[in-house]
Amino acid sequence: MRAREGTARRYAKALFDLARGSGAAEAVGQELGQVAAVYAADARAHETLTRPWIKPEDRRGVAAAIAQRVGGRKLVQDFLGLVAERGRADHLPEIIAAYQGLVDADLGRARAQVRAAVALTDGEKQQLAAKLERALGKRIILEERVDATLLGGFIAQLGSLILDGSLDGQLGRMRQRLARG
Amino acid sequence: MIRGLAIAALLLGVVPSVALASEGGGGLINVDRSLFIQMINFGLLLFILVKLLYKPLLTKMEERTQAIRKSLDEAQAARAEAQREREEHAARLQAAHAEAQAIRATALKEAAEEQRKLVEGARAEAARLVESARSELAQDVRRARQELRQEVSDLAVTVAERLIRRSLRDEDHRRIVQDAIARVDKVN
Repeated sequence: MRAREGTARRYAKALFDLARGSGAAEAVGQELGQVAAVYAADARAHETLTRPWIKPEDRRGVAAAIAQRVGGRKLVQDFLGLVAERGRADHLPEIIAAYQGLVDADLGRARAQVRAAVALTDGEKQQLAAKLERALGKRIILEERVDATLLGGFIAQLGSLILDGSLDGQLGRMRQRLARG
Repeated sequence: MIRGLAIAALLLGVVPSVALASEGGGGLINVDRSLFIQMINFGLLLFILVKLLYKPLLTKMEERTQAIRKSLDEAQAARAEAQREREEHAARLQAAHAEAQAIRATALKEAAEEQRKLVEGARAEAARLVESARSELAQDVRRARQELRQEVSDLAVTVAERLIRRSLRDEDHRRIVQDAIARVDKVN
């Protein structure tokens, strides 16, 4: 797993250096996200790019075509073609995550994954982002996801930092206190 | 003894001859050539008797005396040996008796010591078992309490979850989110 993440970081760093050089680091990140969405939705495309018995140049052509279809620039097409040719298409989610991390760090911002029992209102999102920015001294991008298994409230994660504002967390702590007596 | 026998034989030979001589020629013994021959005859007879009868008899008697003496000595030695062996046996018997007494005393002492050790070991084992049982009991009680607490807490939380899930409305969700956002200040 660590080797896989290391490989993804090397690819992401190379792409980030090139994209920042051309001043399109964030736009490249968005295009990568769109390509990843296509990969996730299209099982046949995913299989074609990850099968080792398919010729590398064919994998490269398919990857470049997908990138072109979503409107990816030449850099994104070449990068995805290279990744597919080298047989690293299955690393793409880790590469995109590492790339987003590099872009966020470069722009002085952090990404918070928020799981909420019900969808947060825009006002709540702004309030939460403002609070987190004030607490951490960084611009915060919220990536919200509704999790129906949660009873109430939300859980926000920024890297290794976890803020548990859910009823589930409170009940869990209450359960521990009761069990300890 | 030999000398007495010779004198007796001489008297027996001389006296009849002297008497015969006095009857025939005026005395009991005629001192003539026949007397001399008789004396020689007597001497020869005496020599033969001594040589053939008396000396072997004496030798036999001496041998018998020696044998009897030897037997007596042997009997005496055997009696002494028997006495010595009896005394030796008595001494051995006494020593064996004393040794048996010592062994018995030692065995009794060892048995008493072994019994004491066994009793002490049994007491220690019993105490250990009691302590172990007590410890296990206490551990079981602790475990049972903990399990009971865990079950009670699980049950309470499960019931609370159901009640909360059933009763939560949108304004409750909003309030919970607002409370959680308010607590973010405490991150620092």
